[in-house]
Amino acid sequence: MTLVHNWHLGRTMEYPYFESRPEHQFAAVFNINRCIACQTCTMAHKSTWTYSKGQEYMWWNNVETKPYGGYPQHWDQKILQMLWDNGNNPMEWFTSPEEKNETTAPYGLYNGDTIFELAKTKGLNQVAVGYIPDDKEWRFPNIYEDTAASEKTNYEMGSGADKESSELPEHKRWFFYLQRVCNHCTYPACLAACPRKAIYKRKEDGIVLIDQKRCRGYRKCVEQCPYKKPMYRGETRMSEKCIACYPRIEGKDPVTKGRRMEARCMAACVGKIRMNGLLTGDYKKPDPKNPLDWLIHIHRVALPLYPQFGTEPNIYYIPPRWAPRSYLRQMFGPGVDEALDKYAAPSRTLMAVLALFRATQTVISRFEVEEGPKIYESEVMGKKVEVYNDTAIGFAADGTELVRIKIEEPTWESDEKRMVTY
Amino acid sequence: MLRGLMRKSVFLGSAFVAMFFLCSGEVFSQSLEQEATVEENIPTEEGLTSTYVVTDMDGAAEALAKADSYKVDLQIQDRSFPNGGGSVPEVEVSSIHNGETIFFYVTWSDATKNDRAIKHEQFRDAVGFMFPIGIVEISPRTPFSPRMGDRGKPVNIWHWKADWERDLHADGNYEHMEDVYPDMFTDFDFNPHPDYFNKKVHDSVPLMAGGIAAGSLLSTPRGRSVEDLNAIGFGTLTSQTHQDVNGTGYWSDGKWHVMIYRPLISQDNNDVQFVAGQSTFFNMAVWNGEEGDRNGLKSVSIRWRPITLEPIAYTK
Ligand code: SF4
Ligand code: SF4
Repeated sequence: MTLVHNWHLGRTMEYPYFESRPEHQFAAVFNINRCIACQTCTMAHKSTWTYSKGQEYMWWNNVETKPYGGYPQHWDQKILQMLWDNGNNPMEWFTSPEEKNETTAPYGLYNGDTIFELAKTKGLNQVAVGYIPDDKEWRFPNIYEDTAASEKTNYEMGSGADKESSELPEHKRWFFYLQRVCNHCTYPACLAACPRKAIYKRKEDGIVLIDQKRCRGYRKCVEQCPYKKPMYRGETRMSEKCIACYPRIEGKDPVTKGRRMEARCMAACVGKIRMNGLLTGDYKKPDPKNPLDWLIHIHRVALPLYPQFGTEPNIYYIPPRWAPRSYLRQMFGPGVDEALDKYAAPSRTLMAVLALFRATQTVISRFEVEEGPKIYESEVMGKKVEVYNDTAIGFAADGTELVRIKIEEPTWESDEKRMVTY
Repeated sequence: MLRGLMRKSVFLGSAFVAMFFLCSGEVFSQSLEQEATVEENIPTEEGLTSTYVVTDMDGAAEALAKADSYKVDLQIQDRSFPNGGGSVPEVEVSSIHNGETIFFYVTWSDATKNDRAIKHEQFRDAVGFMFPIGIVEISPRTPFSPRMGDRGKPVNIWHWKADWERDLHADGNYEHMEDVYPDMFTDFDFNPHPDYFNKKVHDSVPLMAGGIAAGSLLSTPRGRSVEDLNAIGFGTLTSQTHQDVNGTGYWSDGKWHVMIYRPLISQDNNDVQFVAGQSTFFNMAVWNGEEGDRNGLKSVSIRWRPITLEPIAYTK
């Protein structure tokens, strides 16, 4: 094992290989607040990559209902329970200002074992703690859809039920959708687990791939990826995983004329919850004009999923406003409160960047904001919110303007005559 | 306290890594392989004799059954990461040759027959022979790693797989998803005339399967149950483009019986070659699918064993 820096954890951690960050990193931000669980992303994925025999249960993109849902079933509860190690690994965070650092430890310091460290502490014969879900656990990708967690039953709550379910800051009765794809982790557990080095992380964009020439179907990646994103294909006796639609990311799709294009699941998102692109390779020098760098590193409104696992995942989430904070902190780490404060009362820049979500399927490398007049003022949870009709502009890597969008959606009212003719 | 300790360990750890860098100058990945022990390079005294028998292919099995058997003790693979196995304590092996082909017969006890690797949780039973390539001397002064060889010291591995054996007897010499999940095309298994919904899409497998596109023997009918491989250390196992080894096996009464054979001399430089009257070395490994054995999780024989081919007796 070597020591590498994991900025999600604010410290160095053990990993079987040296730290070697890609020049750019494939990443995305998912705004959970906006997802409607239409599963368009899931089907976009399915109809592109996994419609063939032996891939029946394979969903490289899936959307599950938290807290009960999961694909494979209970994947996160199981990993958390393993990591908890009967209370020997309490997974705490130190979040006082001295523990933090703007770039290398923005959320504070994780004081606990990661999946790699625990495997070593316990002397397991594998690189990371994990398990192989059996075929029953893969079978119901959307089990417990829309099943809410509640402190009380409807009956107990009587007529107050609706109120309990709609009052912020925390609903007493709640659920939310969690959109999941492979995180193309900086420290992939799948890659570390493979005894054949059949898995590699691309230097140019950080995409993690399984070499189908080297794979021998050992399922070590299936076992040790904590997010359960490599899957075994019985038909070919080999493992497969999300490939981040790399031909699109490379700009091979003619539609975007050689420019980088978002992955299928990202571009298909009906709820406009997703923004996909590349992060600056050096996390210590985020580019304030790159929308993903800005959301993740600078504004810190988007957070990693289960950072305590230790793989430094690269899909980031704007947490749902209504779910209990303790649950969210467990899932997204201690950055939750700051992120939600910022999201509930968004800054002008945040409004602008959010407007760019799903405004084009070409990857936006740079954004600009042109100022407009103030159109609205309000108070959210004791905080003043002012909304301006600014214009957000997105540019491709080659400088081409891709999209120009106003905060206030233009509306048009029909005159009475037209209404009648219709 | 904990916090202080952790900080300290992080600091010490970094110092250690820095030192390692300075001292070794070489990139190490998983420094998880143990030092070789002396015994790994001392072959056993006793070995296996491949008896010369005048027989054709059809008589080989019978002749093998009559040949003296040799016991090979196995142990848990504890030398390199990921380690494991150890559930099969021994195999019995015998060998004959007829001047053209060498035959091996292996039996071992295994209460469960695992001859499929199609579901996520299914792992196959298997047995492997490993031979050094070329004429080698093995001693502590002239080491030859029993851990699947080493750089400049390649090994030839013959790997019989229970699921490949089963594939041989399946339609088209390959088992498919529907052999494990017979109702996969339909929702209701009582339908006597299932409408193969999406059959066309399903038949697109060759187009949409990385394993097939990559030409992997695992993913396609290969018409044999033994894979011919090379390695130069753990993690380097590679299937040969030229497959020369054949075999057959069956399970009955809690025991696997496997016969593996190959011409004494093959046309491939990457293969072990056998010469009547000469000897070389071998090592063995067994995988127990029920225990989740695969790759380094296996029961192994660690020490090289000599194998001597009886000279061809022309008068016999
Ligand atoms: S999410 Fe899993 S499969 Fe994807 S890179 Fe990370 S460890 Fe590998
Ligand atoms: S397409 Fe978008 S809104 Fe629909 S389920 Fe997927 S992430 Fe949610």
